[in-house]
Amino acid sequence: MTDLLLLFTQQTINGIYLGCLYVLVALGLTLIYGVMNQINFAHADFVTVGAFAAFFVATRWATKWLGLPDTTGYLLSIVAALGAGALLGLVVNAAVFAPLRNRGDELRPLIATIGVSVLLENGQLALFGPIPFQFDSPFAQHTIRLGRIFFSQQSVLVVIVAALAIGGLYAFMKFTFLGKALRAVSQDRETAGLMGINENFLIALTIVIASALAGMAGALLGPVIVLTPFAGASVIVKAFAIVIIGGFGNMEGTIIAGILVGIIEAFTVQYLGSGVIDLVVFVLLLVMLVVRPTGLIAERREENV
Amino acid sequence: MTALLEARALRKSFGGVRAVEGISLAVPERAIFAVIGPNGAGKSTLMNLLSGTYQPDSGELLFAGRQLVGLPAHRRVRLGLARTFQKIRLFKQLTLLDNVLAGFHIHHRIPAWQYLLPAAAFWRDWTRCREEGMALLEFVGLADRAFERAGALAYGQQRMLEIARALATGPKLFMLDEPAAGLNSAEVGFLLQRLIDIRARGITVVVVEHNMDLVMNVADHVFVMDHGEYLFQGKPREVQDNPQVIEAYLGGEFVGGVAA
Amino acid sequence: MSVPVRAADGGAAPRAPVVARRGEGGPVSAVAAALRRPVRWPAYAGALVVIALLPIVLGTPYWRGILVVCAMNVLLAMSLNLVIGYTGQLSLGQSGFFAIGAYVTTVLLKSHGWNFWLAAAAAVLAAGVVGLLLAAFAARLRGHYLGIASLGFAVIVYQVLINWESVTKGVRGIYGIMPPPPVALPGLPEISFGNQAALFYLVAGLALLVYLVLDNLVRSPIGETLRAIREDEISAASLGVDSARWKAFSFGLSAAIAGMAGCFYPGFVGTLVPDAFNIVESFTMLAMVIVGGMGTMIGPVIGAVVLTFLPELLRGFGDLRLMVYGVALTLVVLFMPGGIVQAARALVARRAQGGPRA
Repeated sequence: MTDLLLLFTQQTINGIYLGCLYVLVALGLTLIYGVMNQINFAHADFVTVGAFAAFFVATRWATKWLGLPDTTGYLLSIVAALGAGALLGLVVNAAVFAPLRNRGDELRPLIATIGVSVLLENGQLALFGPIPFQFDSPFAQHTIRLGRIFFSQQSVLVVIVAALAIGGLYAFMKFTFLGKALRAVSQDRETAGLMGINENFLIALTIVIASALAGMAGALLGPVIVLTPFAGASVIVKAFAIVIIGGFGNMEGTIIAGILVGIIEAFTVQYLGSGVIDLVVFVLLLVMLVVRPTGLIAERREENV
Repeated sequence: MTALLEARALRKSFGGVRAVEGISLAVPERAIFAVIGPNGAGKSTLMNLLSGTYQPDSGELLFAGRQLVGLPAHRRVRLGLARTFQKIRLFKQLTLLDNVLAGFHIHHRIPAWQYLLPAAAFWRDWTRCREEGMALLEFVGLADRAFERAGALAYGQQRMLEIARALATGPKLFMLDEPAAGLNSAEVGFLLQRLIDIRARGITVVVVEHNMDLVMNVADHVFVMDHGEYLFQGKPREVQDNPQVIEAYLGGEFVGGVAA
Repeated sequence: MSVPVRAADGGAAPRAPVVARRGEGGPVSAVAAALRRPVRWPAYAGALVVIALLPIVLGTPYWRGILVVCAMNVLLAMSLNLVIGYTGQLSLGQSGFFAIGAYVTTVLLKSHGWNFWLAAAAAVLAAGVVGLLLAAFAARLRGHYLGIASLGFAVIVYQVLINWESVTKGVRGIYGIMPPPPVALPGLPEISFGNQAALFYLVAGLALLVYLVLDNLVRSPIGETLRAIREDEISAASLGVDSARWKAFSFGLSAAIAGMAGCFYPGFVGTLVPDAFNIVESFTMLAMVIVGGMGTMIGPVIGAVVLTFLPELLRGFGDLRLMVYGVALTLVVLFMPGGIVQAARALVARRAQGGPRA
């Protein structure tokens, strides 16, 4: 292998790993948008809550109190973060989304999610303070070597978990009645009623799934990012870009876009420096919006007049 | 009679589905020109092509001799084309009067600085628009509800408000997309009379319609479409008696009045 | 539902709809009501008095500083309301224009030795031009897509501020920025803007002027056009409205006003760092518009005042105050869907209708 090809492969692998993290965050946004046409700005904070939940499970409860090995503790913390995210989603839906639905207005729920975001960020600030937490994954220290290409166990773990989550989501959507109903709703709001399913339940379910994914992403992101109460914000703007690039509400598009952005980020770091990542991603986003306003793979629909 | 609006071989398809296939028509000045046809005949697409909401894939469209193809909808309004929509599109959160006032958009003559500091010209325009707006509301029987929200109106009244709003643009050609849909017979009668009044004011009317009572009673000329193509045209009586037309309607879906 | 319509036979002779004489076209009272011009000068006079009194009532330097911030927030909220409330375009990038106003002023002032007022004018112009660029996106994108595109714009501005170190000094920031230079009016003592009361009078006076201009604008045919675009673009096009052009107008003007707020910010704070223009600032402005009541002139002003002072009044909660702020924001949205203005109007209407007990 030439050095250039080697570098290319190495960065692509790094990019896929990063992309999987972004996909997990962005998928939730897309799911929620698909079903209820709503942007959730608090999604970032679901990620942070997941990260903190994982941190305490991995570094305190599982290892110090239960005496489990580090690796088991971390795996357990991923599950715990998933649960924390789901629980939070359930609460936020009941308190904010559900009461605001069907008021025929997109903006107010948007502001409400900003309110929730402020609340969650500052709630965590009060609990954990502004000093970053050191959250190390026991898998991050071990590198795997394939020829001259290196990657950490952590990145393998992330890719596996992301693949499992995406696979599980697809299986759910494809093979279960509820999943089919969910797809139906995201395509056409009125069909759900025809299928005899309570729309409120479907929406609650979507938010819980989305939040669980965000929480889990938090556990996986925790060791990568600077873990403060505002950590989620650094990821979420990129997740928004991914959702748009993939086409709002389009799951396949989101997955492709997420991986793509991950790879772009890896190469940007390599060639332009880490300071300009957001710049590159968002300039690409704007270019994308000019060229294909409905996303990578969504088809254009002419407005019915 | 000269043709105010002339279409030549208009074509439009959506993702391979041919909605309008080679339609040619000539709307004489000061006529009430009706376009009829069974559901899915392409009438609404034709209307959208005429008004500029869609652009045709091919064909020509002439308004008073001027080529319309390529001209966006808002530019056509300045030439004197106005329209209503099949699915009513009012400014629902605004009052009736504000809906109509928006229709004067192309008719304001105010020096730019007076938008910041209103002076004589501004207030002259202000008064004129409100007087004319109220007169238009009166014309469609809604003047006493001028300050209510448009969304609060009953369905038939919303259709009439849309007509008043479109008339505010001061059209030469007024196109109505199924104006009688969802109206009861008293409302249809009122609408019919208003169409005659509008024509009496020198405005040419094109009406895409399902309601045969309306078409047979007011149209001077009826143009029949089926599956996006031209089927027949002529006087209402001729259309009514044409076996092709009857078959198209009976073969598809029966619309009351055709066989009568 | 039966609809009361006129006799179907058209018994009355059809009236000429387009040329009506005064008083003839409809029920006289309705026409008279339509022609009644709003009287607004007492409200403006009142606002002047309030602005004049505020720095006297809130006399400490601390509260006067808050007043200056408040006046800037009022400008920002009004600017955003023009785009969101009146034109119906979701814009989450307002902090970008605020930043352009602040940085263009400061860089011209400090690095190029421009006079403050000239630099400020250039900054307002620059923000307005960039606003026109963003409007190009608004012409093609709708709803949330535009929201994220404008958010992307704000992120790009923020990133440029961080990365373009040769001009912006990056995250290290620019220090020692002086307030606007003193103004000497003939016959009066020199006005120094190092005095926060004077700075407040300047910014609040500008805000009042902007309010007056916008108020006239939204009541004019231009306001009718913008609202038509907000309600339904296809319908507006059927009335001859070129929505791309009017969106550009709205975005351009809005951006220029946000830029104007930005001009005064660096001189007030004394330093300029990119973090002051984090995208979160855009959300705060949006919150002001929504909490006050979007699509009304006074709503964003009220929203800006409430959300500027609320965190200050909540200082008693210590670390929890921003959390309480979040709760308050959510509760307002939940229980006052039309913002404070609509809630107040509903209250007044209920009083007027059935008395306090009804």
